[in-house]
Amino acid sequence: MSVVPVTTPAETDVEPPVSLWRDAWHRLRRNRLAVFGLMVVVILAFTAAFGPYLTPYDFLSQDLSARNLAPSMSHLFGTDDLGRDVFSRVVYGTRTAFLVAVVVTFIAVLIGVSLGAMAGFFGGLLDKIVMWLTDMTMSIPNLLLVVVINASLKSPISSWMEGRYLVTLNPIYRETVWVDFLLVFGSMALISWPPYARLVRAQVLSIRSRPYITAAQALGLTNRIILMRYVVPNALGPLIVAVSAGLGTAMVLESAFSFLGVGVNPPTPSWGNMISDGLRVWQHYPHLLAAPAAVLGLASVAFSFLGDGLNDALNPRGAK
Amino acid sequence: MMANDIRPEASRERLLDVKGLTIEIETRRGPATIVDGIDLHVDKGETLGIVGESGCGKSLTMLSLMRLLPNKIRVTQGEANFAGRDLQKMSNSDLRKVRGGEVGFIFQDPMTSLNPVMRIGQQLAEPLIYHRGMSKAEARNRAGELLKLVGIPGAVERLDAYPHELSGGMRQRVMIAIGLACNPQLLIADEPTTALDVTIQAQIVDLVKELRDKLGMSVVWITHDLALIAGLVDRINVLYAGTVVEDAPVDALFANPRHPYTQGLLASIPKLSDQRTTRLSSIGGTPPEPGRRPKGCPFAPRCPLVEQICHERVPSLEGTGKAGAHRVACFVAQRKLEAA
Ligand SMILES: Nc1ncnc2c1ncn2[C@@H]1O[C@H](COP(=O)(O)OP(=O)(O)OP(=O)(O)O)[C@@H](O)[C@H]1O
Ligand code: SF4
Ligand SMILES: [Mg+2]
Repeated sequence: MSVVPVTTPAETDVEPPVSLWRDAWHRLRRNRLAVFGLMVVVILAFTAAFGPYLTPYDFLSQDLSARNLAPSMSHLFGTDDLGRDVFSRVVYGTRTAFLVAVVVTFIAVLIGVSLGAMAGFFGGLLDKIVMWLTDMTMSIPNLLLVVVINASLKSPISSWMEGRYLVTLNPIYRETVWVDFLLVFGSMALISWPPYARLVRAQVLSIRSRPYITAAQALGLTNRIILMRYVVPNALGPLIVAVSAGLGTAMVLESAFSFLGVGVNPPTPSWGNMISDGLRVWQHYPHLLAAPAAVLGLASVAFSFLGDGLNDALNPRGAK
Repeated sequence: MMANDIRPEASRERLLDVKGLTIEIETRRGPATIVDGIDLHVDKGETLGIVGESGCGKSLTMLSLMRLLPNKIRVTQGEANFAGRDLQKMSNSDLRKVRGGEVGFIFQDPMTSLNPVMRIGQQLAEPLIYHRGMSKAEARNRAGELLKLVGIPGAVERLDAYPHELSGGMRQRVMIAIGLACNPQLLIADEPTTALDVTIQAQIVDLVKELRDKLGMSVVWITHDLALIAGLVDRINVLYAGTVVEDAPVDALFANPRHPYTQGLLASIPKLSDQRTTRLSSIGGTPPEPGRRPKGCPFAPRCPLVEQICHERVPSLEGTGKAGAHRVACFVAQRKLEAA
């Protein structure tokens, strides 16, 4: 187009662009509880990633001459009935908790966001089916579902793997810890996605009727581009909040299932199975219960503070 | 109007031709008519003003052309041709090329019509990449030129701004730039100045006028403010309750309004003051709700000249001037003209 003047260096009085996310970050930093939550979460995440390499003892190594020791300088959280260092086990339990929480939340968010976004955006029959699935899943008691999955799948998979090991002698098939994790990931993801689907669907429904969506359609953009660049980013704030809270919930859930024996099983340390072990002897050795319980409580509180803080930090954006 | 005389004579070629367009909304009590068999046309290079009270169906008519009606609202009859093609019947992918590519939209509310989490440079680039196949770098360059074109100071630096960092007037300029991005043949501006203060309103009108002359496009400008667009448009259609009640060249309409509703509209423009608060004060009552349209002339319940026939039959829009250029849908006005 010839009439348009060629770009020349532009004039003055331009403030540097302040990103919406940076605004939110500033608000988050002013919230003490949220900062506390964030710090704890970062420390726990670091512990989960690197902790097991830094602990003075191996979480599995037993020392039968040093059983049930009270906390001391050489064993920060004492030792358990097999003489294993409780601190090392709590550290490894952090890895278990994070691994489960991150993987489960990732899968749940992936399923929930895709289904919720499509249901809200396209509506109609698809919406009905998705909503029916969510209601169905939510109406089944979580614990029941997990117990059923464990009971019906665990022994067949284990015996199949045993069989494969005898045939192939491939050591992969001897490692049954992964069966535990696979079942925990699968069953927890299965019960965790519906809230994300509902949230995203509600968000999309409300965003879909905003004028900027009509404006984007009037520009001739495709549904895919509108969904990905206009709808989803605008739904992101509440989703981030939900994910932060969801990570905390998933950790507590993992501990709860492990506590009940349908989650991660010993000897792999989980806060939940440690609490379960500690509970049996808590009158004699309270540290065996206190250590994992305190860390679980701290993690749960930290994620909920962070979630609330993010909620406050991201919300004023909508009011602008 | 002087401004119109400067421009080259608009060729009489139809760009947009809407015939008998009817829009209904689904309500609990069944379908209700919102727009009732409307006829509209815009010639190449022409600027049409559409005037009418809030709720008379201006926005829905324009949205329906691009098949952008909200849920539960549907076109039930009529056709809309753009550059010889039927917009209601064309495929979705063809229609997407028309949207934004050949017809640009500027929406009512600059505060909510921009994506709040996307930088404006990117929002401008989007249609260029999609319709013109530009690379990201080319699109960004062009986006900078467009911001300059609509008079945004520090245009290139503004590309990285988010909508909430701009004032209302600046945002409306960005919207205009987006509407113009792909050099559309037709620009539809739906009350683009209602959210702005009076001096900025005038600036936006001037800007569109200038760009129209530069780029040679047709414009449909929707408003409830007749005075604002007097210097901009060639022709005015007055809408009442989803029908065109008067269609006239702008000078003829101001000099000689024929429909009682138009007369009321004009009488309510303050002559000397700048305050336009007394909109329609000289016409009592309110327009009919969808679903409760009178059987005859839709204006009958409020009309000072109402007669028996007005309650029985619907007046059609008929040409009365020599060339039929000044048309009015009113029994009394038509009779007067025949007598004259
Ligand atoms: N999404 C919707 N759902 C239900 N009814 C609607 C919707 N949009 C518009 N309407 C109704 O349709 C009629 C025409 O609306 P439209 O938006 O076209 O009016 P308008 O002439 O543009 O008014 P304004 O000057 O206020 O923008 C109004 O009576 C309105 O109540
Ligand atoms: S037709 Fe009758 S009611 Fe309608 S505007 Fe004319 S005089 Fe009034
Ligand atoms: Mg409107």
